[in-house]
Amino acid sequence: MGSLRELQHELETKTNDLSKLQKEIAKNHQVRKKYTIQLGENELVLKELDMLNEDANVFKLIGPVLVKQDLAEANANVRKRIDYISAELKRLDGTIQDLEEKQNGKNESIMKLQQRIHTLQAGKAKA
Amino acid sequence: MAKESCEDRGAMAASKGGGAVVRVAEMEKMSLEHLKSLKEQSDLEVNLLQDSLNNIRTATARLEIASNALQDLSLRPQGKKMLVPLTASLYVPGTLEDADNVLVDVGTGYFIEKTMSEGRDYCERKINLLKSNFDQLIEVASKTKSVADEAGMVLQARLRQAGPVS
Repeated sequence: MGSLRELQHELETKTNDLSKLQKEIAKNHQVRKKYTIQLGENELVLKELDMLNEDANVFKLIGPVLVKQDLAEANANVRKRIDYISAELKRLDGTIQDLEEKQNGKNESIMKLQQRIHTLQAGKAKA
Repeated sequence: MAKESCEDRGAMAASKGGGAVVRVAEMEKMSLEHLKSLKEQSDLEVNLLQDSLNNIRTATARLEIASNALQDLSLRPQGKKMLVPLTASLYVPGTLEDADNVLVDVGTGYFIEKTMSEGRDYCERKINLLKSNFDQLIEVASKTKSVADEAGMVLQARLRQAGPVS
């Protein structure tokens, strides 16, 4: 009797853990999506900047003001941002993979627990 | 100086294509649960792709409006009097000071000074880019949709089969 209750308690905590993991994975996916969109946008901007003549006027919107910027500087800035976002994406991929592995492990252990509870209950019913 | 904003942020949201082509024969071998999850997943993907397609459509429409506005503006001489919209219902009088150059919003807060024709080129280029993306996406979407439909059909047939027995 006691062990059944213990098992059920364990199952409950594991399910809680699992739902926490799932929430975290969803959050990470959302962040990843945001970064992918930003990366695409930055790449488009870089393509535009690459097409310009050297004497073209480039402005950057800072708050409500447009500030004139050096083309080379703007180019370097965008490149830097693309590097940063790519690195961030790679890091996120790592964490997501990690979390998914953890999730799979949790799923398995929950299945095992459920099976044990099942067999225990079946045994009791017979007795 | 006229300001022309042509943004298409987010429209290019990367959408994972349903590359796995699962045919009916394979579906019939699947378990009921597996089939259900396949159906749900492909439905989700179809919705996502539909959203992306809609985004591209609105972005293209906006670029077309911008291109038309540029065309319109390029016909006006310098010093032309016009009403400038401050809000949707408030206009103030102004004069066109620079009839040659426009500022193009290329995204992430960067603006580039371009001539009228360059600005129109920019819009056309963006429209073409969006069109090619649109065509690619539509192909993926129709493929995913057919997978979802097939999964739904097999699932229903399976449920009907299982129904009378239980």
